[in-house]
This record gives sequence, structure tokens and C-alpha cells, in this order.
Amino acid sequence: MNDMGEPERVAAIEPTGDPADVPGARDLVLALADDELCIGQNLGWWIAVGPFLEEDLALTSISQDELGHARALYGLLGDDIDAMAYGRESHEYLCAHITELPCHDWAETLVRHFLYDTAETVRWSALADSSWASLGAVARRALAEERSHLRHATGLLDRLLRTDAGIAHLLPLFDQLAPMASELFDAPAGCSEAGLVAAGVMTCELGEQLARWQSIVDDALAPVAYQPQWPVAGPKAAPSGGRAGQRSPHFAALHAEMVEVLSIDPTARW
Amino acid sequence: MSADAPAGLVAAIRRSVSMVCDPEYPEVTISELGILERVSAAGDGSAVRIELVPTMLGCPALDVIARDVTDAARAACAGADVSIEVAFIDDPVWTADRIAPSAVSFLAREYSVAVRSRSADASCPICGSAVLEHRSDFGPTPCRSVEWCPQCRNPVEVVGRVDSPTSRIPA
Repeated sequence: MNDMGEPERVAAIEPTGDPADVPGARDLVLALADDELCIGQNLGWWIAVGPFLEEDLALTSISQDELGHARALYGLLGDDIDAMAYGRESHEYLCAHITELPCHDWAETLVRHFLYDTAETVRWSALADSSWASLGAVARRALAEERSHLRHATGLLDRLLRTDAGIAHLLPLFDQLAPMASELFDAPAGCSEAGLVAAGVMTCELGEQLARWQSIVDDALAPVAYQPQWPVAGPKAAPSGGRAGQRSPHFAALHAEMVEVLSIDPTARW
Repeated sequence: MSADAPAGLVAAIRRSVSMVCDPEYPEVTISELGILERVSAAGDGSAVRIELVPTMLGCPALDVIARDVTDAARAACAGADVSIEVAFIDDPVWTADRIAPSAVSFLAREYSVAVRSRSADASCPICGSAVLEHRSDFGPTPCRSVEWCPQCRNPVEVVGRVDSPTSRIPA
């Protein structure tokens, strides 16, 4: 069990039960799975239309990885992965809105990819030693795959931020997308972060993960002396839109694309 | 059923599923690639669980491999009423170190695919040069990266992206 040096918290939650049953644990995993599903589907849009061949392969390989992570996370919640991924009502999805954005502009895709994959690295790290053993195993497995995603995102970003055109084009996108990406660290409704940390499901609260992620983003932009306009930090009264089941205007089209084959033939098998 | 039955059954199923070939390399078995981890049976031999280690979580060949393994296990049961469970496990994590040396040389010879593991660096499968230049982490499949041989001037596919030695992962 975790030993955070906070005995009153640990005592408040009996550590004997299944960590998956800690209130909010399953919703947290569902939110992460929905993030992966939507980002994976969106990245797949780049197949055959990437700005250069290597980028085409990179984005679609990353898309495949993220869909694999979604499958592994849904698999922690039940056996019928397709039903979870495709068969829910739109208000039952808990993804952050940034993952629903189409991003058909490559610069937007690159900035979102950098923000998302750095966020994922922080998130997976906080789950790698989870008391929910199978969640910890998925997190460690995914973390190993994130290395190449990060290398791809940071490699391109580093190079493009050394050019005036890159700076002019990319920095405004950080202002637009970084505050939106902060939602990746919002907890779903009814999810007690303190309870999850006390039970060892995750090793640090989402607010702390958010701060860690923001400093990674700030460090990446330090060479061009830039800082995104972060929202004012502070405790949230309620979960934001995405985590509360509100879908952005982009979700309907994204979901329709995902279920296009299933809706023609619900018995179709790959 | 005799006390030896589960052990005999497990051995027969293990023999059978270890011959299942990878969809991408139809002459190389999942056993040689380190994908087959464990075959175990319930005490009375009525249920067998086969654990596989995926190369990548998003590998599109996983479903095909699971189907082929199930078929191979059923064939080994020879009509006996045994329930077969095939599971992809997340621990241990697959690395290129799990590939058998025989498969490493076969992949180089027949597919011009190099393998980079922790214990052995990749060399050019065409000319043998020990120097390869990294081009892209993302190749024709999720587990292959693309490098370039400056000696024979050929692109080289390398298995082992997950284990790439350089990492820019934030601490």
C-alpha cells in the first residue's frame, strides 16, 4: 500500500478492498480511455495526407498506439471493449474536449500532440505504481511506448521553434490549446482525488500532475522565452465540461466516423 | 482424470501453440519472437490459460494471433472438453531481448530486418555494417523503426522501437 506519510488519510480508507472499487477509480480510467480513443481516432485522420511520408507514418503509428492504450484501459473495466468504446450515449463519454478537436491543420496537430503526450507521460507516471495492479501494469507498458511519441513531438517542436516562421505559427496555437489541454487533469464527477491517492490508485493528485505538466511545457518553450496563458490555478468547484459528460460540437462527427461500419453491420468482424 | 493429465495437456498445448507463426513473419513462431509467455491449466485440466506478451498494445495483429493460438490449442486438445482462455498480459513488457537468436538471424537474412536489443546492437542486415543512422521511430509496423546504412546506402528496418536507447522522456 502507499505510504504518503499522511496517516489520517490512509486510516480513513480501508486498504483491504479492491482498489478498483475505490470511488471514482473506474471513472478515472474511463476518462483516460475515452481520451485515448478520441485522440487515436483523430490522429488517424492523417493517414495518407501527412505533410511528408515519415510524418504520415509517425502520426498514424501514434494513433494506433493510442487506440491500443484505449483498448487496454477499457479492458480493465469489462470484457465488451467495443460496447464501451462505441456503444455509449454521448453524455456517458468523459473525454477532455482537446481530444475531440479535429486538428486538420498540421501545426495544430503537432502542438496538441506535444501537449497531449507530455500530459500522458505525467499521468501514466502517477499510475505506474498503482495499487490497482493491472492499471499499474498498463501504465508501465504505455509509458514505454510514450518515449517515441515524445521524441517525435519534441524533436519537431525543437526544430520548428528555431525558425521565425515556426515561432510565428506555433506560439499562438499554444495559447489556444494549452489552457484547453489542462482539462486532461480534471477529475470526473464524483471522483475523490484524495481518496484515490490514499488508496494508492494514483500516487499524486491531479492538481500536482497538472503543475508538473505545465512546468514541462514551460521548459519546452523557455528557449523562445514564451509562456502559454495558463488558466488561474485553484480548486475547481465542479468538473469541467468534458469530464462531466458534456460533449464539444466536434464529438458527434468523430463518433459517427468511429461507428460508421458498426452502424451499417453491427455483426461485422475485422 | 489422472493426476498427470494437466501436465500432459499443458505440454501438448504448449507444443502446439509454440508452433503458431507471426502473421507478419509467417516462418517465425510466436515462441521465437518471445510473444508466448505461459501455458497453465486448472488442477483438473478442464481449463487452460495461455498468456501472450504483446509487442505493442496497439499491434493490429493481436486479434489474428489470439485466434491462431486458440485454434492451435483446440487442435492439441483433440476433442477433449477443455475451455481455452487466451490473454494478453501487460507484465512483463515485451522487448527485443525476448527474440530468440535463431529468429534474429532469420529476420536479418530473409527480411532484411535488424533487431536491436539491450544485449546486442543492430547491424546492417545487408552489408553487416555496425553503424546505422536513425531516421524515424515509426516504420511500416508499430514495432519497427527506420534507419539508414551509410556503408551500403540502404534503408534498414529495425525491430525494437519500445527499447530505443535514447530517451527524451521528462523526469
